Amino acid sequence: MKQATNPNVDMKGASSKGGAFHGFLSSFPLPLVPLFLFLLIFFLWPIGALTGNAFKSNEGAFTLSNIQMLFQDPYRLAFKNSITLGLISALVGAIPGLLIAMAIEKQGSQTLKKFVASISGVLANTGGVPLAFMFLAAFGPAGLVISALKSIGIDLYGMGFTLFSFTGLVIVYAYFQIPIMVIVISPALTALRSEWKDSAANLGASKAQYWLRVGIPLLLPSFIACFLLLFASAFSAFATARALTVGNIALVPLQIGSLIDGNVTVNQFNLGYALAFGMIIVSLLAMIPYIWIQSRTSKWQQK
Amino acid sequence: MRNKRLVAATIAAVTAISGLIVVTTPAQAAVNFCNVQNLQQAGGMDALVKAAKAEKELNIITIPRDWANYGEAIDLFTKAFGIKINSDNPEGSSAYEIQTIKTAPASKQPDVVDIGVSVLPDALGIGRKPLFAPYKVATWNDIPSEWKDPAGLWYGDYYGVLAISYDASLPKAPTSIKALLTDPAFKGAFALSGDPTSSQQALMALFAVAGANGGSATNILPGIEAIKAAKANGNFVSVIGNSANYAAGAYKATITWDFNGPGAIATSTAAGKPLKFVIPSDVALQGTPYLQAVNAKAPHCAAARLWEEFLYSQNVGKGSKELTAADIKLSGSKLMKVIMGGQNIWVAGAAHPITEAAMIKKKTIVDAPEGFAVPKTAKRIAPSPDQQTEQKAIVVTEWPKL
Amino acid sequence: MATEMKNLGSKIILLVTGIFIFFPLYAATEFSMRNGAEKTHGLNAYRWIFQQSGFAENLAITARITVLAVVLNLLIMVPTVTWLHLSGQRYKRLIEILTILPLIIPVVALATGAQLALPSILENTVYELSFMYVVVAMPYTYRALDIGLSGHPLATLTNAARNLGASWIRVLMNVIVPTIRPSIFAALFLMVALSLGEFTLAQLLHWTTFPVWVTNASQQNIIGATALAVGSLFFAWLLLFGFTFFGGKNSNTVQEEA
Repeated sequence: MKQATNPNVDMKGASSKGGAFHGFLSSFPLPLVPLFLFLLIFFLWPIGALTGNAFKSNEGAFTLSNIQMLFQDPYRLAFKNSITLGLISALVGAIPGLLIAMAIEKQGSQTLKKFVASISGVLANTGGVPLAFMFLAAFGPAGLVISALKSIGIDLYGMGFTLFSFTGLVIVYAYFQIPIMVIVISPALTALRSEWKDSAANLGASKAQYWLRVGIPLLLPSFIACFLLLFASAFSAFATARALTVGNIALVPLQIGSLIDGNVTVNQFNLGYALAFGMIIVSLLAMIPYIWIQSRTSKWQQK
Repeated sequence: MRNKRLVAATIAAVTAISGLIVVTTPAQAAVNFCNVQNLQQAGGMDALVKAAKAEKELNIITIPRDWANYGEAIDLFTKAFGIKINSDNPEGSSAYEIQTIKTAPASKQPDVVDIGVSVLPDALGIGRKPLFAPYKVATWNDIPSEWKDPAGLWYGDYYGVLAISYDASLPKAPTSIKALLTDPAFKGAFALSGDPTSSQQALMALFAVAGANGGSATNILPGIEAIKAAKANGNFVSVIGNSANYAAGAYKATITWDFNGPGAIATSTAAGKPLKFVIPSDVALQGTPYLQAVNAKAPHCAAARLWEEFLYSQNVGKGSKELTAADIKLSGSKLMKVIMGGQNIWVAGAAHPITEAAMIKKKTIVDAPEGFAVPKTAKRIAPSPDQQTEQKAIVVTEWPKL
Repeated sequence: MATEMKNLGSKIILLVTGIFIFFPLYAATEFSMRNGAEKTHGLNAYRWIFQQSGFAENLAITARITVLAVVLNLLIMVPTVTWLHLSGQRYKRLIEILTILPLIIPVVALATGAQLALPSILENTVYELSFMYVVVAMPYTYRALDIGLSGHPLATLTNAARNLGASWIRVLMNVIVPTIRPSIFAALFLMVALSLGEFTLAQLLHWTTFPVWVTNASQQNIIGATALAVGSLFFAWLLLFGFTFFGGKNSNTVQEEA
């Protein structure tokens, strides 16, 4: 495997390349250089270019007017909607996802685990027009399930259910959110050794005490990390929202699409970049609860 | 001494001058097709075709095959001239075309563009060079003056009228926009073809709905109100009215350009749910013409100009299926007279070519497909670019509140 | 009794999940097997994409992009995340923040930024997509590797191996990699699935990859497009399912050996 020939892997950490010349470099860990360089060239630099344009007017002069517009409707409304969608979709993905992963762990069957791992991997990548189509074909106004229910007297759409709403988006998003949660939390659940449960029981702890003192603290960082991932995923999802709505729900990615790639507002690219910049800020802010929980639970982490 | 030097100088001068004459003899000079501004400068149709064939490829952008019958234009051009057509992002927007010209690497530049009027100011630019190269096609004089640039930078190609497309299996046909939005027979039927803050077609549909409900090209708000009401009474479904969602049964009718008709009818029939088209009896919304232009950075300059000549040819001739191997062997100018011209290909796609008026006079226009006639009762609305810009601001703020 | 109730509870959860997952797939499959105007069902639509000229050519392009992306991904991520767990804990938070950023940037913006910034050497080769795909997949691949590594006493294993005289390369190859093999495979599969389905970035950077070609070709054939979506879903799943048998030992096995 290629890892063996990577000369930058230095498990001892920084500063083993001694010498005064490398003195200042020794504070920056060498093993992180490949990743840093990669992200710098293929991510940070493009984003920097983008951010720079967020602060430019159409003539190229520095301006804050694009950023100011973010605080006015319809862009403010879009941020509110997108953040709400992100949070709700993350919850709807995280909790069922965790329960499902636990249920699978409980069943214990290796084949079931493999089956679930593979189908989750596939479903986690569904989205956009195909996903919207699948849901419409099943749960749309003329969908198979809806028609079948209608034929036995249950008219869901008549009762007010619809896929073409905020709730509908959350339901459709769950199709890829839940698998993502299952994929990412399963290894953590597996790592919760059964011996710990047994030892805790031997020491007189009840099931609840085990979970409260051992299980949850160990799972919490992974759970929060997954939750954050789900939030970011729902917050920035574009193709699925576009297939299922028609602009009636203001969402930031859709507005960016309209400004940068649309045919109606065609001279406000920099406003689109400003919206993208706003999305970055929101996501950075979302990291704060995670960092706080991390620092609180790190004592439970294995060193 | 002096005589010898004088003779030498004279010989040198004469040699130099005759050299100059040799170099600038027109018969020897090669034509740079990237600077050619009309057929005459190209050296005639034969020369243009020859140069285009040598380039072997043409880059087009954001041209769906089923849009105004472009698929036939692409097939005929490729078959007749042997030029491979590379199609970038068929479903993309006009803004995408301009962005591509501005940012894409040389190999990915489009040769020609077909854009909406809204992106023209950005393309022409203020204080910088325009993105287009001037070129005036052979039929230039038949293009109405309000839809062409005097210098030849851009020129209108075709326009459309909004039609209602609906599921053929609907028990009642929606013949007017008002009925579509209010008649209980169309509950759960109507969807907009796109987001009006992003899609030009959806924006124009909003104008049409406005026109059917007391609004006009200068007052789009009644359109938004009417759709709000239609959402409340259940006729309006807030999903995007594309072909996939139609096939899934999410909606049954939408408002779309007439020139999308033939393509959509074919696709939907193949999917087992045939569509029908009808121009509404209450409002006939006429869109602003789309515009053709040649990219100043075109990688295939001769092919680009040949494509324009082809699109503006008013010839009645053979389509891609009728063209024979013998025809293809003809010289450039003869071949152009054998094949169907682009203007007529667009007519077959239910679009209205820009030289329509002249073609009707000259009787060189083919018949439009059945069922796309504009009813006499329909109120004609044609929002100008300025009117659109004004109303857009209202749409951007009001639409998300639906 | 309690265990039986617990088992029943987990069985119900799995059943409900199964129904939720099943119906959209079933409905799309049923649609994809329609024979157009005729009211019969068949597998005609599944043959359709293979009959389109350009199938092999475009698939090859995507295959090449994927191979490079996978190699880059493993080369960069595995040693880095391992080092972070072994000696670089204080940098973990920074890296976590960095690696979740690609998820937040809408692909439209990333593509536009890339066109503004990247040098033309890169812009003129289709392999620029490989690099971009590694970036786009990074939130997932980093987390898969990170969580996989978290569950193991990596320091203990490494120290034990070093004490027994193993070189660092030996440690990496024979101790670390086998331990986290499931996570490596998870990261790998995420990468492959992304590459086969990623459309927006490829199109905005003006490349015709397999997914882009498929989408364009599908515009006039809805049943064919659906068959394709459903078919690739099932195919990808079968592939992954098969690979999980090669994916190797579960962490439990490592415990037994230790």
